[in-house]
Amino acid sequence: MGEEDNEKGKLYRQMGLLSTIGITLVAATFIGLGMGYYLDKWIGTKPIFTIIFMIFGIIAGFREMFSIIKKGE
Amino acid sequence: MKHAPVYLFYLLGIPEHIAEEYRYVFLAVFVTILLTIVSFWVTSRLEKIPKGKQNVFEFILGGLMDFMEEIMGHGARRFLPLVGTLAFFILTSNLLGLIPGFDSPTANLNATGGCAIVVFFATHYYGIKTHGMSYIKQFTGPIPALTPLIMPIEIISHLVRPVSLSIRLFGNMFGGHLVLASFLGLVPLIVPLPMMAMELFVAGVQTLIFIVLSMIYISLALEEHH
Repeated sequence: MGEEDNEKGKLYRQMGLLSTIGITLVAATFIGLGMGYYLDKWIGTKPIFTIIFMIFGIIAGFREMFSIIKKGE
Repeated sequence: MKHAPVYLFYLLGIPEHIAEEYRYVFLAVFVTILLTIVSFWVTSRLEKIPKGKQNVFEFILGGLMDFMEEIMGHGARRFLPLVGTLAFFILTSNLLGLIPGFDSPTANLNATGGCAIVVFFATHYYGIKTHGMSYIKQFTGPIPALTPLIMPIEIISHLVRPVSLSIRLFGNMFGGHLVLASFLGLVPLIVPLPMMAMELFVAGVQTLIFIVLSMIYISLALEEHH
């Protein structure tokens, strides 16, 4: 009973996690871009924070993707 | 874009321009009232040996509870109100859109965003409640000197979760309605039927994925960090 519970539970967890990978990458990039853009509007330096935070966003997206794949194992 | 009219609001006497402007708000309130009425109707006379409608709902809730224990482990009981409410609300809202003359409240980014923001704050609330202030330490990373580099990345990773939850549900519901509307514009006779069957399936699956991911995020916030 415990074995079977674990099997089904793992399957649902994997299904839920894997559906997140694609949108995580895109959403992380856009959130980074958005944070950088509004930080630039607030502080006034034009392109630098936008670019830095967009790169942060891309890195965050990849990190999330790796950790999701690791958790799915 | 002109939406299909929701006849319920004309029946209730709400003037047309307000009903079209706030259509999703009225629909969400309608779902809430509907679920409240159903819950009062079922729990009105509780008996120790259930039969009839009480049996059905005990079956549903027992199944949901077992499902939660599979995913979250043994401490799952105290999250049943949150996850159960989300599950019932999202499932009812999704299915409501299939009835002609109604629309889904979840086909609106504000409604799905509301659900996702609730889950977001719930994860942090339970994380801080369980671990105290050392919950914040996961944002600083292993080496304290690297904090200004690691912290924005961690914050962005955390912010991605409600964004992805809300956009996934919104996109599935709204896209489904759009495709159905296109089919109905082209061949209204038999062809939309398989699409409506697919919509039923998608309604169930999207509810499942929303609550599975919510449970995963909450259990991630609760587990031991190192």
